[in-house]
Parts: sequence; structure tokens; C-alpha cells
Amino acid sequence: MRTNILKIATSLAFALAATSAFAHAQLEKATPPVGGTVASASEIRLEFSEGVEPKFTKVSLTGPGGAVPLAAARTEPSNQAVLIVPITKALAAGAYTVHWHAVSVDTHHTQGTFEFTVKP
Amino acid sequence: MSLIQIRSARAALSAAIAALWLTPAYPHAVCGDRIFPATLAIDDPGVQDELALPTVSWVPNNSDGAHEWDASFSWTKTITPGLSVVISDGPTWTHPGGYGWNALDTELQWQALCIPDAEFMFKVGFDISWAGTGTGVLAGSGGQNTYSPLVDGGLGFGWLPPALKYLRPFAITGEFSTSSPGQDWTGGVPNVTTFNWGFTLQYSLPYFNSQLASIDNDFLKRLVPVAEFAFQTPIHNGGPAGVTTTGYFQPGVIYEADKWQVALEAMVPMTGATGHGVGVIGQLDFYLDDIPNRIDEPIFPHGVGIAPGI
Repeated sequence: MRTNILKIATSLAFALAATSAFAHAQLEKATPPVGGTVASASEIRLEFSEGVEPKFTKVSLTGPGGAVPLAAARTEPSNQAVLIVPITKALAAGAYTVHWHAVSVDTHHTQGTFEFTVKP
Repeated sequence: MSLIQIRSARAALSAAIAALWLTPAYPHAVCGDRIFPATLAIDDPGVQDELALPTVSWVPNNSDGAHEWDASFSWTKTITPGLSVVISDGPTWTHPGGYGWNALDTELQWQALCIPDAEFMFKVGFDISWAGTGTGVLAGSGGQNTYSPLVDGGLGFGWLPPALKYLRPFAITGEFSTSSPGQDWTGGVPNVTTFNWGFTLQYSLPYFNSQLASIDNDFLKRLVPVAEFAFQTPIHNGGPAGVTTTGYFQPGVIYEADKWQVALEAMVPMTGATGHGVGVIGQLDFYLDDIPNRIDEPIFPHGVGIAPGI
């Protein structure tokens, strides 16, 4: 009985220990910062809790003049949890809204919205 | 009715309530921008692969005036992406009283709806507490199966206007069910049917961090303060059995990691019949759908049962 319990506990421990790359991708940090104010921004950098698939992850940016064109998203070569989306034109002063829809490497979907401000 | 019969009825009801307390499926749930964490007294509105192991609670004076310890597990296994089976059980220690395992509990759940823009979702379920599966002091408490149809819903407030944006991390969840024993009377002892109801109010700092303003503290940004209210009101045979509404107010906090969460709450009795003194309950919960293993996916991943919006 004690051996069986030990086996079950060991299996569970291994299962949980081998999990570093799989989960719902939650936004942990962003640049420009969530709710923050910046002088300018040339890219949107989203740091997730888990790796994401850039081909299936969508990011949009809207501001005072409507939708802002963005280049194709990519992840950092050394960290698949960091998504980088270049902004292809200079941002005018005003409030901007980022909407993201992420697909993690294990195909879980998450989404969110936040705002930042470009100061005059 | 004799005093012994009344005590037997109360013991049966206490066992049923204890079993009910132990049986929610506790899966975390995702709908739109909202992630509903697993809560302890009120089941959350989602259907996911999940393992709550263990849930441990202690109350200084239960409805019988005894110290009580409870421990339990709850395993949720998806059959299709929106349909799951839950298996729950665990032991109870009371002093005075003794030790025993609660009746085995199984539940079928179906994710009925998710409206992402409204952060609203609900599920329906049917729970059976199986007769004859209790042991020790709880061996005789369930002479017949107990059947519990249930509904669990959740609503996030992310849709509030900008003027109220700091209220957006709030969410409420609720649960309604009835627990009906297979027989109204057993050996002259009334079996009580209860209406089980309750709700939670929660404020998600992970939501705040990702939607409103960045939180630099890595610990703080994973916390969800929560207040739970859970009650059982007799709706049949309560009078003959001498039982009234019982319930707890459970304030506490949940820490959400990527693949697991831990929760700790106080248990404050809300009626005199519930007991006296403040207890405590804690739970470690694993998000099996986020953990790579052989049991983390639905048995039929493309089968029926996917709710609108999921």
C-alpha cells in the first residue's frame, strides 16, 4: 500500500514537473505598459505566461485615427512567450487600445484588451 | 418521532451536507477575457480537466457541536470539450463521533453556454451520491442514493463602461441545486430534501494586471480575493427532521499559478444551526488541461457537447 502511494505521488510529481511549456497563455507584462503613458512606441511587446504561436496569435491596435497598421507578429528567438508586433507608422498623441487573441503552443485560446496613452 | 430518530435524521443530513460540501468539481473556467478560478464552496461555471487534491477543512463546532476535519479529492475528466464526469470522495473525522469515508460522489456536467463579450457562462449538471459507499461512522448515513440536479453560472464585469473600469475585475458566480434522497423516509426516519444555493464575489488582480494597469509585484498580480456564501435550506421533511437552514460565509484569497492554484478561506457560520466558531478550508487544485499528460485531453476531442462561445 505504501509503495503504491509512493508510485502515485512520484508519477504526479513527474507529471507536474514536466510542464513548463503548456498552459493557457496569460498576459503578464506589456510594452507599452498596460494602462501606462509613453512618449512614443515603435512596437507592441507582449510577455505571456506561456509560449504562443505567432501564426495564430492576433493583435490589433486602434487609436484616435482608427486602426493602426501593424507588421507581422513574431516571437523572440530565445523566448516563445514574448510576442513582438512592430508598429509601422509613428503614433500620434492620444489613447490607444490593444486587443490580443493568443493561441498558446498547446492550442489553448486566451484574449484580452488594454489601453495605453501616447503623450503629446 | 423519537429523539434517536431525530438525531439519526440530523446525522444523515449532516452527512449529506458534508458530502455536498466535498463534491463540487472545482474546474477553472475561461470565457472571453475572463478566467474564473476554482472556488471552494461554490463550483465555478466551467468544464475542464481538473484535480482538486487535497481539499482540507476544519470547523471547531459543527451542527452537532463536534470538532470536524474533512479531506477530499475531486477529479474532473472531460469526455468531450464541453462534457465531463467528476468523481469525488474523502474522509471525515469528528470528535466526538469518529472517522469514516463519505459516500462516493459522481457528477455529469455540460457546458451549456459561454458569451465571450459578456464574460458570461453557465453549466448544468447532475450529481449522484451513491448509497452504501460510506464507511465507518458514515456507513449508515446514506441508505439511498441522493440526486442533485444543478446549475452553475458566472458573470464577469469586463463590459462595464470606462468610467467604472476599476470595477471590471469583479466577477460573480452562483450555484443552485436540490439534493433529494431516493426515499422520503427510511425506517421511520425522515430524509431531508434541501435547496442548495450560494454565490461568490471575486476581484481578479490577474485581470487588473492584464487589462487595467500593470502590477509589478509578481505575487500580488496572481491573487484573487474572494468572498463565498453557501447555504442549504430544507424544502422537504425539514420540519419532521428538526433541521433548518445552514450556511457559511467564506472570505479568503486564491493564488493562481499557470498550472495550479491554492486557496485559503475562513468558514464563518451564518446560522445558529450551522455551528459555532470560525473554521478554515484550503485547497490545492491542478489544471490538468494545462499539464501535458495522458489524461489531459477529452476522450473525444471533436465530439458533441461544445457550448456556443467555447
